[in-house]
Amino acid sequence: MTRLRYLLREAVDNIKSNRTTTFVALATTTFTMLAMGVFLLLYLNVQEALGSLREEIKVIVYLRDAVSPQAVSRLRAEISQDPAVAGIEYVSREQALATFRAQFPSEERLLSGLGDNPFPVSLVIKVSPAYRSSEQVRELVQKLNALSETEEVLYSQDWIENLAVALRYLKVLGLGIGTVLATSMVTILANTIRLTLHARRDEIEIMKLIGATTAFIKTPFVLEGALLGGVGTLCSLFLLRTLFGLAEAKLALRGTFWGIGRGLVFLPDRVTVAFLLLGMMLGCLGSVVSLLQLRGARS
Amino acid sequence: MIEFYHVSKAYNGWPALQDVSFKIDKGEFVFLTGPSGAGKTTLLRLIFRADAPDEGQILVNNRNLLHIRESEVPYLRRMIGFVFQDFRLLPKKTVFENVALALKVSGVPEGVLRVRVAETLGAVGLGHKLDAMPMTLSAGEQQRVCLARAIVNDPQILLADEPTGNLDADLSGEILELMKSANARGTTVVLATHNREMLKRWRRRVMRLEQGRVAEDGYPEA
Repeated sequence: MTRLRYLLREAVDNIKSNRTTTFVALATTTFTMLAMGVFLLLYLNVQEALGSLREEIKVIVYLRDAVSPQAVSRLRAEISQDPAVAGIEYVSREQALATFRAQFPSEERLLSGLGDNPFPVSLVIKVSPAYRSSEQVRELVQKLNALSETEEVLYSQDWIENLAVALRYLKVLGLGIGTVLATSMVTILANTIRLTLHARRDEIEIMKLIGATTAFIKTPFVLEGALLGGVGTLCSLFLLRTLFGLAEAKLALRGTFWGIGRGLVFLPDRVTVAFLLLGMMLGCLGSVVSLLQLRGARS
Repeated sequence: MIEFYHVSKAYNGWPALQDVSFKIDKGEFVFLTGPSGAGKTTLLRLIFRADAPDEGQILVNNRNLLHIRESEVPYLRRMIGFVFQDFRLLPKKTVFENVALALKVSGVPEGVLRVRVAETLGAVGLGHKLDAMPMTLSAGEQQRVCLARAIVNDPQILLADEPTGNLDADLSGEILELMKSANARGTTVVLATHNREMLKRWRRRVMRLEQGRVAEDGYPEA
């Protein structure tokens, strides 16, 4: 306990003894982690939106005109056996016409030109949550297309899949930018620790001579890195929460986000803790990089 | 306690020690003397493994320093106290903290540490300067702090490299008395000096080095 207290105090002393450099390192850490946080938040929100959109995936099966009501009932029973199907809604020709009239009242003239009710009978199929991947929906569509009663199958998945592809690109881009930012943060922290090491080189030499182990000498510097990384990340989280609050307030004035009722989401607690740990780990890594220099020094 | 067998050491091709062999028993007090550049500091550095010999074997407390692992070096050094000519005190730490560091590296509990540091600083006559910063002390006081740091953990061996080199005769006498006290408690002392007065006054074993070789080893005649 004595030793731990001593090592922590040494870490704090290191920070105090190098205030300007520490401030620069802290500011860099804060803005680097803030940039990473913004990306993470963007990614999480697009992912959330995508999840919400996926729940809306529906497959519409338009049936041939000649299909009898008995055949429709048999077909409904058959389709509902498929595990990919969560529910089936039957839409009669009359219902389809009424819906069209309600949604497009200005197109009434178009309908009168067509004469009789032109809408076919359709089955609106809700896809089970476990079967919402592209391949699985495509497989279901193929099965439905193969049915003799089917005239045409339409589904709303393509643009959702495009969004999923965009999300994957966003993930790759985020990882790339995150790596560059993390590398620069490690480099800057390593330089800060290197300056502390340089300022305390005589002390380190004396400690070696009086029997300090490598761990005893290096631990305060690793703790210094972790502290800088941790405090910088906390500052970035505070800024991120403030910016998020502003964005949320602005979007609330405009209504829902992309037509999705849930609105924006902030980093979940688990992710926030992981983010803080990442900042501390990057700080430690910065220290380790600079401490590698010590390895070559004469013991 | 300390055994050298045909030890040689060179720095950049310049021989600092050449084929040096000797044995120092537990509890002995040995003056290491000789002109500047004779190899005194090199010999001391080899004992506490600040350097490794190019040739020969060194045994400290029956442990061969050639076969000691790097990770074991700190533990070897904890049984050796070292007094430097240039004191090597940490300027930003108090007198108390400077001495306490030697115990902290060994993980001595805070309570024990406080008592031992206060006792040791009292023994070297600095009990009233625990909170002073080293730079505010005189040269003699700084050397006493350095000595306190070297003996606070009751080392088995005390090495001193010209500890009185920067001090006047009275202060040198005080430092030497403190080393004699440590020796009386069983610590083996090796003191490098070229102070002839000291050698005459304190009749102890003298090992004289010249050009990296042991030129003389014995007790001065009465």
